[in-house]
Amino acid sequence: MTNWQNLQPRSFLEASARDRAIGLVDEGSFTELAGPFDRVTSPHLELLGDAVAFDDGIVTGIGRIGKTPVFVISQEGKFIGGSVGEIGGAKMVNTIKTAIDFHDDLVAKYPDLTDEEKPVVVISFETGGVRLHEANAGLLAHAEVMDQLQKARGKVPVIAVIGSKVGGFGGMGFVAAATDAIIMSEFGRLGLTGPEVIEQEMGKEEFDASDRALVYRTTGGRHKYIMGDANFLVQDTVEAFRKQVAELAPLPVADFEAMRRIGSPEKVENQLRLVALAAEMQPKDAVDVWAKAGNENAAGLLDVPFAEFMSTVKRLSV
Amino acid sequence: MTQHDTRKDWRTRAADTAARKEAAAPLFAKGKEVLAKDTVALLEAVIRAGDVINIEGNNQKQADFLADCLNQVDKSKIHDLHMVQSAVPLKSHLDLFDNGIAKKLDFAFGGPQAARVAEFIDNGKIQLGAIHTYLELFGRYFLDLTPRVSLVCAYKADRKGNLYTGFNTEDTPVIVEATKFKDGIVIAQVNEIVDELPRVDIPGDWVDAVIESPKPFFIEPLFTRDPANITDNQILLAMMCLKGIYGEYGVTSMNHGIGFLTSAIELILPTYGAELGLKGKICTHMIINPHPTMIPAIEEGWVEAIHCFGGELGMEDYVASRPDVFFIGPDGTLRSNRAFAQTAGHYAADMFIGGTLQIDKYGNSSTATAGRVAGFGGAPNMGCDPKGRRHPSGAWLKCGEELPSLDSLTGSVPRGKRLVVQGVETFGEGRKPVFVDELDAWKLAKSANLDIPPVMIYGDDLTHIVTEEGIAYLNRCKDMETRMAAIRAVAGFTEIGLTAKPEETKALREAGIVKTPSDLGIDPSRATRDLLAAKNMRDLVTWSGGLYNPPARFRNW
Repeated sequence: MTNWQNLQPRSFLEASARDRAIGLVDEGSFTELAGPFDRVTSPHLELLGDAVAFDDGIVTGIGRIGKTPVFVISQEGKFIGGSVGEIGGAKMVNTIKTAIDFHDDLVAKYPDLTDEEKPVVVISFETGGVRLHEANAGLLAHAEVMDQLQKARGKVPVIAVIGSKVGGFGGMGFVAAATDAIIMSEFGRLGLTGPEVIEQEMGKEEFDASDRALVYRTTGGRHKYIMGDANFLVQDTVEAFRKQVAELAPLPVADFEAMRRIGSPEKVENQLRLVALAAEMQPKDAVDVWAKAGNENAAGLLDVPFAEFMSTVKRLSV
Repeated sequence: MTQHDTRKDWRTRAADTAARKEAAAPLFAKGKEVLAKDTVALLEAVIRAGDVINIEGNNQKQADFLADCLNQVDKSKIHDLHMVQSAVPLKSHLDLFDNGIAKKLDFAFGGPQAARVAEFIDNGKIQLGAIHTYLELFGRYFLDLTPRVSLVCAYKADRKGNLYTGFNTEDTPVIVEATKFKDGIVIAQVNEIVDELPRVDIPGDWVDAVIESPKPFFIEPLFTRDPANITDNQILLAMMCLKGIYGEYGVTSMNHGIGFLTSAIELILPTYGAELGLKGKICTHMIINPHPTMIPAIEEGWVEAIHCFGGELGMEDYVASRPDVFFIGPDGTLRSNRAFAQTAGHYAADMFIGGTLQIDKYGNSSTATAGRVAGFGGAPNMGCDPKGRRHPSGAWLKCGEELPSLDSLTGSVPRGKRLVVQGVETFGEGRKPVFVDELDAWKLAKSANLDIPPVMIYGDDLTHIVTEEGIAYLNRCKDMETRMAAIRAVAGFTEIGLTAKPEETKALREAGIVKTPSDLGIDPSRATRDLLAAKNMRDLVTWSGGLYNPPARFRNW
C-alpha cells in the first residue's frame, strides 16, 4: 500500500492514477469505489480480444480534505493512453452524480452547512479522450460526463488537476474546460486536438508534433496559465497539487463561478475578445502572445526556474 | 650515381587533381569560397566516374547539403562511384545508388536506412564491399580505400579554407588527412563563412573548396535519453551492474554504449553508487559522447576525464564549462575526435557495456535482423578484447585471472582481459525474446549475400551478461558447456531460458558463475525510479545549473 507521507514530495508527473487519488486528499481518507477488486471491465475490449484493466484505467472514490468531502476521479495514462470508454466514463459519471446526490441529501438534512462542509469533485486528467475501440459508447460517456458537470454547476464545485504525462486532450479537453477551476503544473498539457492529430491533418509545417518544446509552449502549463486557460500553476509534486485543492475546497460556489473560463455571456464575450486578438495579431508562436501580455523577455520565460516564472510572469488580459 | 626511374611519371595523381581543379577554377568566388548555387557544377568538375568518394556523416553531424548536390550531378558523366563512408543514415546517401550515380559501398553504420541498404544489396543497386567498424574503415582510408574526393562538413570556415569543426569534429580529421595527403580533393560545406575562426581544426591548405550551405548541417541528438522513460526494471539491472561488475572489479575506465540501461547506471551513480561507497573507485575515466544523463555524476565529482567521439546537441555550454573533465581547445570549446576516442575505447578502456537485440545460446550477439543491414559503428571496437593491449590495470587483470582456460594457450604467463558486458531484459523491444537459438544475422547473411553473419560481439569476447534474472560471469566458465548453462540460467522465460536445469543453475550460483539479485544482496523492491538522480529532462537542466540546453524534441515544459 502506498505510503501517503512518502507520496507527498514525489513528482505528480510520475505518480500513478491511484497514487494521485490517494495523495490528493488527507492521509488515510481515500476509499476507492468500483475498484479493481470489483473487476468492472470493458466489454468492448474483451470482444476485440484486447487486454482489460480491472479498473478500466480510471480510479474513482471518496476522501476528505479538512472538513470537505472530496469525490475523486483519476485517469491512468498507462492503460490505453488514459482513453475513456463505456466503463471508465460510467465511473466518472456516477462519481459526479453521487457527489451531487450527496450534496442534495446533506443540504436537505443540514440546511446550516458551511461551504467548507459541502462536497467537491476533483478530476485528475490523463487522457487523449475517447477510447477509439469503444467509439460511440466512449463518445456517449463524454456527453454524459458533460451533462453531470452542468448538473453539478452552482452546487458541487468541480476542480480539474492536470500534470500527468498524457495531459488532457480530445473530448476530455472539452470536459476539463467545462470544470470550475483548473490547476496545472508546467508539465501538464491541455488541448482539444492532440499534437499528432494536428500534424496529421494540417501537415508538419503547421504543427510539428515531434518538436516537444513547440508542443509544450502551445499546450503546456506555462502557456495555459498565461492565457488564463488554467487558473493555477503549481510545482510538480503531489503535495503542491493537494495544497492548491485544499485552498479551493472550502470556498463558496460563487467563487468557483468567478474562476470559470466559460459559461456565461460575459465569459463568452471575453473568449471572443481573445479570438479577435488572435485574428489581429496573427501570432507565429505562443511566445508572441506572451510578449503581448506584457512579458518583456517572453522567450526567456520558457526556461526560467518555476519560482522565477511565477514571480515575473504577466498573464494575458483582454 | 643517379638511378633511373623505371616509371616515367610519379605524379599522375597530382596531375589528375590539378586538371580537375583547373576545370573547377571559374567557379571560385573569393579565395576558396564556392557559392552554394555552384556546388553541383563544382562536383561535376572534380569528380570522375568510378571515383572513390567519401561523404562525411556519422551518426551525429552530416554533410547533408553536399550529399543532396551529389545526387543532382549529370549521371551520364558521373556514375559507378565507390562510396566509402562511416555511415549512410540519410535518404540522400541511398538515393545515390537508386539514381545510378554510385555503385559500390564500404561503410560502418546504416542506421535509419538499414532496410534500404538490405533491399539495394538484394536487387543489385549496391555492390557491398564490407561492413566495418569505424577504426577498421578509417584504417582502410590509409591503405586501400583512400578517397579521391571527400565531402566534409564544419561549423565555420574562412576564405583560406581553414575549418572550425569544434564540438563536432568527429571524423573530419581522419577523412581530410587520408584524402589530402594522397593528392585528393577536399570540399567542405560549412554553416558560416567568417573572417576569423574561433580556432583552426583543419588547416586551410588541406581544403580545396568551402561552401556556405543554405541550411546548417543536420545533426542528430542520438545519445540523449530522457530519464522519464527509464523503467524500474532497467534500474534493477543498473543496480546489479554497479554492485556485481563495476564495484566487484573496480572498473575505472570504460565506454557506455547507447541506451536506457547505461543511462540508468549513469543516473544512479550519485545515489546507489554513492551508497555502495564506489565514488572515486569506479567510472573515473570515460570514453563517451557528452551524455546528458552523465551530468549529475559529473556534478557530484565522480568523473576525472571524458573524451568524446562527437558532440551531443545541447551539451555545448555545459561541456565548455567543465574543462577539467572534457577535452577543450584553446578557444574554450570541446574538440571531439572519433578516431582517437575509438582508439582509447579499444585499447585504453577496461570495460565496454551496452545492449543488443539478440544473444544466441553461445553468447554471440547482434543487432542485425533479417531485412536490415545496419552495421555496428564502433561497438565491436570496444566490445572486444584488444589483443594488442599490454598495460595492466586492476579490473583488466582480475577479469583475466578469473579465466579458467587462460593457461591452455599462454601457459603460466598471466594476461588480463577486457570486460565486455551486455545488459539486456530477457524480452526486449516489442516483447521479442533476446535470447535465441540462432541469431537473425544468419538469415540476413543469406538474404544479403554476405559471406559471414554480421555479429556485433563474438562470444569469446563477451565476459558478462546482465538480465533481470541475474548476472552470468561468462569469464568464469571453463568450457562451452558451462558457458551455455550460465547463459540459460539468466535467460528467464525465453525458450533458451526454459531449458535451464534447476540443479545446474544451483551449482553455477554456488560457484559464483551466476548471481541473482539476492545473491548480490540487492533487494529488487528498491529498484524504483526514486533512485534516479534526475527523473526528467528538466532535472538534468537544473543539475547543470542551466548550462544544458535540451533539443526541442526533449523539452516537456
